Amino acid sequence: MSMILDTKTNRRTVLKTGAAAVGMLAMPSVLRAQEKPKEIIVRAWGGAWGDALKAGVADPFTEATGIKVRLDFTEDNEIKPKIWAAVDQGRVPPIHVNWDTTTNATISALRGATVDLSDLSNLKGLLPLAKPSGLEGYPLVNTYAYVYVCAYRPEAFPDGPPTSWNVLIDPKFKGRIALYDDGIGFNPISVIVGGGTFADIPDNMEPGYEFYRKLKQNEPLLGEDADFTTWFQKGEIDVACTISVNARAAKESGIDVAWTVPKEGCKVDTDGLWVPKGLPANEEHWAKEFVNFALTKDAQQKWCSMLGLPPVYPGIEPPADLVGDPSYPTTPEDFAKLVSVPSPVLVENQPIWFAKFNEIFQG
Amino acid sequence: MSRMVEVKDVSKSFDGTLAVNAVNLVLNRGEFLTIVGPSGCGKTTLLRMIAGFEVPSAGEIRINNERVENIPPYRRSIGMVFQKLALFPHMTAAQNVAYPLKMRRFEPAQIPSLVDKYLQLVQLGDYAGRYPHELSGGQQQRVAIARALSFSPDLLLLDEPLSALDKKLREEMQLEFRRIQQELGVTTINVTHDQREALVMSDRIAVMNEGVVQQDGTPVDMYRNPENRFVANFIGMTSLFEGTVCATGDGVVSVKSGNVLLQARSNDKVLPVNTKVDCAIRAEQIRIVEDASVYDNSVFGTIEHRIFEGDRIVYTVHVEDLGGARLHLFDHDPVSHKEYPANERVRLGWNARDLFAFQAPQSN
Amino acid sequence: MQRNQIIRTRLGWKLLDGIERLVSALWPARFKGSVGRVLLLPAVLLIGILVIGLGYMIEYSFHELDLSTYRLKDEYSLVNYAVIADRPVYMRVLNRTLLAALIVSVTTVFLAFPYAYMLVRTRSALTRKFLLIALFLPFFIGQVVRAYGWLIILGKQGLINSLLEGLGLPALNLIYNYPSVIFGLIQYMLPFAILLIVPAVAAISEDVELASEGLGANWISTFRHIVLPLARPGLIGAFVVVFTLTLTDFAMPEILGGGTTDFIASAIYDSFFQLSNAGLGAALSMILVMIGSVIVAAIFYLAGTGTLGVREQSR
Repeated sequence: MSMILDTKTNRRTVLKTGAAAVGMLAMPSVLRAQEKPKEIIVRAWGGAWGDALKAGVADPFTEATGIKVRLDFTEDNEIKPKIWAAVDQGRVPPIHVNWDTTTNATISALRGATVDLSDLSNLKGLLPLAKPSGLEGYPLVNTYAYVYVCAYRPEAFPDGPPTSWNVLIDPKFKGRIALYDDGIGFNPISVIVGGGTFADIPDNMEPGYEFYRKLKQNEPLLGEDADFTTWFQKGEIDVACTISVNARAAKESGIDVAWTVPKEGCKVDTDGLWVPKGLPANEEHWAKEFVNFALTKDAQQKWCSMLGLPPVYPGIEPPADLVGDPSYPTTPEDFAKLVSVPSPVLVENQPIWFAKFNEIFQG
Repeated sequence: MSRMVEVKDVSKSFDGTLAVNAVNLVLNRGEFLTIVGPSGCGKTTLLRMIAGFEVPSAGEIRINNERVENIPPYRRSIGMVFQKLALFPHMTAAQNVAYPLKMRRFEPAQIPSLVDKYLQLVQLGDYAGRYPHELSGGQQQRVAIARALSFSPDLLLLDEPLSALDKKLREEMQLEFRRIQQELGVTTINVTHDQREALVMSDRIAVMNEGVVQQDGTPVDMYRNPENRFVANFIGMTSLFEGTVCATGDGVVSVKSGNVLLQARSNDKVLPVNTKVDCAIRAEQIRIVEDASVYDNSVFGTIEHRIFEGDRIVYTVHVEDLGGARLHLFDHDPVSHKEYPANERVRLGWNARDLFAFQAPQSN
Repeated sequence: MQRNQIIRTRLGWKLLDGIERLVSALWPARFKGSVGRVLLLPAVLLIGILVIGLGYMIEYSFHELDLSTYRLKDEYSLVNYAVIADRPVYMRVLNRTLLAALIVSVTTVFLAFPYAYMLVRTRSALTRKFLLIALFLPFFIGQVVRAYGWLIILGKQGLINSLLEGLGLPALNLIYNYPSVIFGLIQYMLPFAILLIVPAVAAISEDVELASEGLGANWISTFRHIVLPLARPGLIGAFVVVFTLTLTDFAMPEILGGGTTDFIASAIYDSFFQLSNAGLGAALSMILVMIGSVIVAAIFYLAGTGTLGVREQSR
């Protein structure tokens, strides 16, 4: 049904798949659209992230529908061009659902690679955070928020947690600090800690770049999620700007790590789910059902509490260890401490920021 | 004549095995000595010690009256031609020949004329610019010898350089090496397993076996008067059988072998009665005879097989009376002589001076 | 026992005969001349695919990314090349990569040669076995495992720094910097270089070296005039392979560079995947291909075609 109602879907694709289905099975296309596929493939991040998705969403979904869910741990950046190429060439995309950063998902949406999710029944009543900004309808749906916290080794901070991001340029920690290798999560913060204001973003990023130049002198390590855990574990770093989930996972595996939100605030962002265009009608239907399922109360509660992140489903209690934690914003006051840049701004400016970040740190 | 090389009680062992055992050799200036022996007899090790590639475990080596055991090869005045020639593949014939001159710091202005002279000597004047792979096997040999000689070494060493050539080319090169050696008068030590090559090329031959020099002498002397069973067997085509001395005279002994009594020469050695001896007889000394009275010794045997070689026929005769010994003999006139078929019973005859009797080794 | 063996041998012969008959039935002798060409086909196809890919890259590199749709614009332009020329960071990354390629290939060949020489010339079977095992062992250890190994040895709490600490010396930054990337690359490339040099050394007859010594050259002269020129094809081959592998390496700066010593391959990766800018990535790739080809061509031009072992060699 959804297929027929979906006006955004490329008509030619629909006709083609529909015709193929009819030709093959000599069955009304409406019925064919409901037929369950054996499995659906969901791209996910590995480690603590994948575990949470599996336990919170994938396994219960299989239980409820009988459809197996396979998690594909291809890097988010690497699956993106594959999906784009498939959509462009009218091929079936390699996955059914992409678990993605909102920024990247927005880029795919702009490119017209995503299916509209406006008709999902569970969208009603979600927090406004679920609605992607700057886009028409729901080419993707946000599922939770997360914070790029200041993670640190308590051992290196006997006088209490760092109170300012200026700790990153403290010569005491030279060579013992880490950021994401594309500057993600710190770009807006750098402007504020560098003496600018939120209003400067994105037109006047110079204070941020100036802070990066100082930061470069302090010899930071640049890495990705898994690197931070290793570096904390091996005593390579004392402070890092990383997503709270990584810090919490490291802590749960016995590494002495704590986190805080310094006075300049932390960047808050969202992740979402989207369904690529070009799937056979029945598979698209069940891919959307998977997304819909991920927005149910139970799935949101299990999935997000394992991640330790605030879900878009309202009224869910935080996990016990995160009650009152600044990395788990629930109230407007909590959000006030955090810095949120609208997705359209990120989409438009991230390449520029990245180029500048690269220029400073690869020099 | 002055001594060029003197090898004194030289031994060499590898991992406890004696490859060369207390060897003594003297070589005079201008002499051509061939060390001949089967593979593994120690001849190459001895040569490599003289060249300086191996250090003796014991003993002295003098070249030009100077002890050289601890002098590296590049400080010795020795030209060597290797078994596989070891030409430098990335250098032309001329560059190969010039190499030792450059390394030995000859006057640069002198080098081209020397290179030319030695290439002319080996008749390769027109091939100076060719690379080794552009030359035939024989031409490569010539480059190798020109290279070994261009710096006028005191000593030339040849490590079986001809062994890889076919028979015709080998015989041609044997004469060529000899001609060049005599033209230059360079003292030369050649190593080979080919007894014919040793006889053809050398002023003197040293036969080696099991690390020991068995006999040292001129080719003719070596052939005529072998000093032991090994030398007799190694040089020439020789048949061997065992016997016991039953009477002894002046240079002649009576030997009982099987159920035959034979007259043999004892080679100036005293062989008492009842001494176990090895008898050796050369193939060309045995005749198939009708009348035995002309010869000192005569036996009956059965022709076992016959090989026609063109210029001669080689017969193998089984002699029951000599304890079943097999004697080889040549017929050098296959054209006019009668041809004896296999299984034919023949009478063989030879003279006492051609039958050598050597004391058998004690352990036997 | 013996009977069994005979039966087995007979069976083996029958099997071989059968296979031969089958092959000759399927592949009549008159086709034999074309066998070589047919066997060449997969390689030609692979190279063909590579060339097609390269063609696409050239095409992409002349289109600018449209940030509002994240598609390459239809019209041709030199924007990507202009961007690269305009941003000094690309020149720095390129220089860093080229310098690393030079240092790594020179050092690796320099270190690999004695190893290869020893491996070929040693008389001790034990030494040879040891050298062979040490040579092949790194191939069995994946890069990721090795990366972790380096952390254990070179890390701030690693073996070396613990030793320094024990001696009362200050800890050193041994990892996550340019020298450690170079070090890692040398260690990674060494077995390749050795494997490429070994056949070249093995092709030099030992007699040739002895002959040189006998003719008056000490080992230095022998090395310079005989061994080095004869091993040159192997040395240049190893140099070229290590140089190009380093020039295009992605993993080592990623693992050991600490994120701040990117090579050009990282910049290409970032363009394609982080920025989703296929045009820029393609332009960077073209520049890399161009530089690599020019350098390799220059080496072969200077060293002559004999370097590739094309010229017949006498033994």
